[in-house]
Amino acid sequence: MASSEREINIYKNIRCLVCQGQSLNDSNSDFAVDLKKVIKKKIINKETDREIYKYLTERYGDWILFSPPLKKNTLLLWGFPLIALVGGVFILRKRLVFYLKQ
Amino acid sequence: MKKQFKIFLLVSIIAIFFVIFYYSLKANNKNNPNVMLNKVLPTIELISFTNFNLRQVLPIINKDKYYLINIWSSWCVPCREEHPILIKLKDKIKIYGINYKDKKTNATSFLNELGNPFYFIGSDKDGSVAIELGAYGIPETYVVNSKGLIVFKHVGPLNKKIYLRIIELIK
Repeated sequence: MASSEREINIYKNIRCLVCQGQSLNDSNSDFAVDLKKVIKKKIINKETDREIYKYLTERYGDWILFSPPLKKNTLLLWGFPLIALVGGVFILRKRLVFYLKQ
Repeated sequence: MKKQFKIFLLVSIIAIFFVIFYYSLKANNKNNPNVMLNKVLPTIELISFTNFNLRQVLPIINKDKYYLINIWSSWCVPCREEHPILIKLKDKIKIYGINYKDKKTNATSFLNELGNPFYFIGSDKDGSVAIELGAYGIPETYVVNSKGLIVFKHVGPLNKKIYLRIIELIK
């Protein structure tokens, strides 16, 4: 059975734990193949992405996902780029105004 | 004065980042095996290795104070290394074995050669039971209490130090 786009997107978001930074989508290691089978079954059973990710993080920790979930302890992780951007704009505000006026 | 302050601010920001990155790089970024500690063991049904009609569901509640689950196979070299420790543990704690992606003949030879510490052995032909338990590299060992809680989990072969930890835990 060919993999659907949704399926591939899920595999791309999951870390192959026995590979060097590869996703499940990129890896053909035994663990990756087995885990893909398990996930495929869950998709056939009409489980949502959220349910699948919950299953995985319960067993393997948040680290198994490439995009960490938005939780209290990852709020800073997700928010930091925005904070840095806002901070940078603030620091350079006078310069920006000068250039914009030209 | 303002210029000095700016330099000071810049240097402190760089220093803070240095500290954060240093500790982050040092931090062990391997999967944290503790994520399942003190959680209930996921329910699994083991099909007996010796008799396909015999089933065992885990966790078992309110029977043994503690029991051990060990995921192993005959082709796994560290499993062979740790096996004597399982034999030592046999008299102290009930051990459920999960034979992972293995051939019955090879597994049987392995046990005939090195001894059988298992109270019950289940077959995990496709690795799905191991995944259900959050395992990713064998051997892996769990100690479960009478409430079904995982009180100890170890990835990799058991050694003397871990043996002593387990003994201490199940006193």
